[in-house]
Amino acid sequence: MTKTGNLLRTGAAMGLALAAMSVADTAAAQECSVKVGAVLPTSVDWGRPIAETAQWVVDQVNEAGGVNDCQVEMVLRDTQVDPKVGVDAAKALVDLDGVPVLLGAVSSGVSMPILTSVTVPAGVMQMSCCSSSTAFTALAEEGKTDGLWFRTFATTGVQAAVGAKVAQDQGWKKVAVFYKNDDWGQDIGKLVAADLEALGIEVTASVAINDAQPSYRAEAASALSGQPDAIYLALYPNEGTATVREWISLGGTQNMILANSLKSEEFRENVGMDYLSNAWGTDTASPRADSATAFVDAYQARFDGPPNGPGLANSYDATMIALLAMEAAGKDATGAEIAAAVPRVTDPAGTPVTADSAGFTQAREVFAEGGSVMYQGATGNVRFDANGDVSAPAVVWKFGEAGIDEVEYLSLDDVDAFMSALQK
Amino acid sequence: MIGLLSYLVFFATVATILAIAVLGLNLQWGNTGLFNGGVAAFFGAGAYGTLILGGTPQAGHLGGFAMPYPLALLGGMAVAAALAWGVGRLTLKLRHDYLAIATFGVAVAFENVMRNAEWLSGGAKGLRGFERPLQEGIGSGLAYNALYLAFVASLLLLTYLFLERLVSSPFGRLLRAIREDEEAARSLGKNPAKVRLTAFVTGSVIMGMAGGLYATFYAFVSPQDVLPILTFQIWAMLIVGGAGNNRGAILGAFLMWGAWTASGWALSRHAPVEAQIYAGSIQYVLIGSVIVGMLLWRPQGLFPERLVVSQSGGATRPAPAK
Repeated sequence: MTKTGNLLRTGAAMGLALAAMSVADTAAAQECSVKVGAVLPTSVDWGRPIAETAQWVVDQVNEAGGVNDCQVEMVLRDTQVDPKVGVDAAKALVDLDGVPVLLGAVSSGVSMPILTSVTVPAGVMQMSCCSSSTAFTALAEEGKTDGLWFRTFATTGVQAAVGAKVAQDQGWKKVAVFYKNDDWGQDIGKLVAADLEALGIEVTASVAINDAQPSYRAEAASALSGQPDAIYLALYPNEGTATVREWISLGGTQNMILANSLKSEEFRENVGMDYLSNAWGTDTASPRADSATAFVDAYQARFDGPPNGPGLANSYDATMIALLAMEAAGKDATGAEIAAAVPRVTDPAGTPVTADSAGFTQAREVFAEGGSVMYQGATGNVRFDANGDVSAPAVVWKFGEAGIDEVEYLSLDDVDAFMSALQK
Repeated sequence: MIGLLSYLVFFATVATILAIAVLGLNLQWGNTGLFNGGVAAFFGAGAYGTLILGGTPQAGHLGGFAMPYPLALLGGMAVAAALAWGVGRLTLKLRHDYLAIATFGVAVAFENVMRNAEWLSGGAKGLRGFERPLQEGIGSGLAYNALYLAFVASLLLLTYLFLERLVSSPFGRLLRAIREDEEAARSLGKNPAKVRLTAFVTGSVIMGMAGGLYATFYAFVSPQDVLPILTFQIWAMLIVGGAGNNRGAILGAFLMWGAWTASGWALSRHAPVEAQIYAGSIQYVLIGSVIVGMLLWRPQGLFPERLVVSQSGGATRPAPAK
C-alpha cells in the first residue's frame, strides 16, 4: 500500500465523517457495528456450510436493522480442527477484537480448551452449534462454566432414550450396540446401553467402529456371538453401510435401530431397501413448529439445496439466539449480561417469534417493552437447562420407497417424561 | 491495549512451549540424526502423564492422584522417558526413513490408545478435572497467564542452556560423530547404540516436558491434541529455524507459530466476506508455500548449524557447511 493510497483513504473517511455529521442523527447511529466471533472448522468440507449458515443469520439480522441499531460483523476464524489453532483464534477474537460472544467450536476437543482457558476466564459467552460431549454437562454441574456456556446440539441423551424406547416398543430383548469411535459415538453408545438396561433389555455387546477400515467383519462377528434380536447403530453412513453389509452377510438379524447420523439417502441406497424394512431410526428436532419447515424452505432459497449437512439447523439457532440475547441485553453488554439474557429469548411463556429477519424485528419490539420471547427456531422451541444443554422433541422414522417416513412424533414433554422415567 | 498485551502473553506462552518441543527434536535430529516421526506421542505422553498424576479424581477413568504440580510434571516427563526408552530399544536399530516410519506408527498407535482406552485417558472426550497450580490465589486472568509465561520461559531458558552445554561437551561431539559416520565412531571404541538411545530418550523427555506444560496451560488434553499434524508442525519449525542450531530451533518455533496464527488473523481481518469461508484453506496453502520455499532456497534454515572445529588441524580443516 502506498502513501497516496493511505492519503486517499483518510480523505475518503473524512469526507464520509463530514457527510455523516451533516445528515440526521439516526443515520449516524447506523454507522456503528458490533462484532461477534466465530471459530469454526472452515478448512473442513462439512465445516464450511456451518459457517455459511452462521453468516446467513448475521445477514438476516443486519437486514432487520442489526443488533441494538448496530450492524453485526461476524469475525470468522478457522480452527483446522486443531485445538491449539482454535484456542489461539478464540483468544485473538476475545482480546484483539473484543467480542462479547463467541460462536463455536464444532469438535468438543476444541470447544473444551476454548471454554476453560479463553471464554470463562474472560467472561465471554460461548455458544456452540455442535459440540456433543457429556464432559460439558459435567463441567457445568461443577459450576465451572459460570453460566457462559450454551449449545444448541441436543444432548445425545434424547436420541439414546428414544432408541431404547424403540427396542421396548418392538419387544426386542437382546440388543448389540455398534458405535462410532469418537466422543459422540462413545457417549451415545454408553448412554443407549444404560437406557436399554434400565428398560430390562440385555445389551449383548458394545462394539467400537473405527473410521475407514477396509472391513468390519471382525467387529460384526464379535457382536454376532451374543445372538441379539436387534442391533443399535450409532455410525456415519460410510462405516454404517460397511458394517451392516458384513452383519447381514454373516446372517445377523435385520432388526435395526439407527441414530440420526444414518438418516441419509446414501445409506438407504447402498444397503438396499430389501434389508431395511425392519430398521427404525431416531432423530431429534424436526419439531412441529412451522419455523422448522420455514427454515428448510429459506435455506433452500438461499443456498440452492436442502440443509443436509450435519449441524446446519443447530448453527442457525446458535447464531440467532446469541444475536437475540445481545439485543435483549442492550448496548455494550458484557458476555455475562448477554448470557443472562438468554432465558428472555427462550422463555416458554414469551411471545412466539419466527427464525428470520421479521422475527428479529418483532423480538426487538418485545424486548424494548421489557418482555420476553419464545424463539421458534430451526430445531424447534429451543430451551436450555441450567447446564446450557438443550432437550428436543424426537421422531421415530423408517426408510420408505420414496424417502424417509415418520412413524411417531414425541413432543418435548413426552421426551422429558420418558427420560425422567428412565432415571428412576 | 490490555487486550493486545493479554493476547501476546497467550501467544508467547504457546510458542514458548512449542519451542521447548522443537529443542527436544533438535537434539534428536539436528545433533544425532535420529528421524523421529512420532513427536506427538512423546509430547502426548508428557501431557497425559501430567494431567493423570496432577488432576482431581474423575468418574470412569484413571487419574486424580492430585500430586503436587512439580511432581506431576516430573511424572509426565518420566512417562515420556519410559515410552521413549521402550520405543528406542525396539526401533533405534533402524536408519533414517525406516526409523521415521516406525516412530510415526508409534504416534498413531499412541493416539488410538488414548482414544480408546477410556479407563486410562477418558477416551475421545479427553481428560479434564485438572486444577492449574496457584490459580486459587491469582485467578485465571492476565496476571496468571503472565506468571505462567515467566515459568515456561524460564524452563525454555534452562533447556536451552542445558542443550548448549551438552552439545559443546565431548558428548555432543560424539553425537555429531555418530550422525556423520557411525562406523568411524565405532572404530574409535564408542558404543553408538547406547549413545543414540541416550539422545533419543533425552530429547523425548524434553518433548514430554513441553507436553506437560501445554496440558497444564489448557487444563485439558484430548486425542485431538496429539494428531500427526503436531509432529508436522514441530518439524516445520525446526526446518525453518535451522536443524542443529538451538537458537534456530527457538526462532523457528516463534516464527512458524506466528505465521500460523497471524495468517489466520490477517485473513479474517482483510479478506472479503465472500472469501472468509475459504480463509482456512488459503491459510494451509500459505503455510505450505513457506515451508516449500524454505526447503528450496534455504534448506539449512534461518540459523544454520555452526560447525565447531575441535582441534585446529591446518590442512585437515573440514570444509565449511554445505
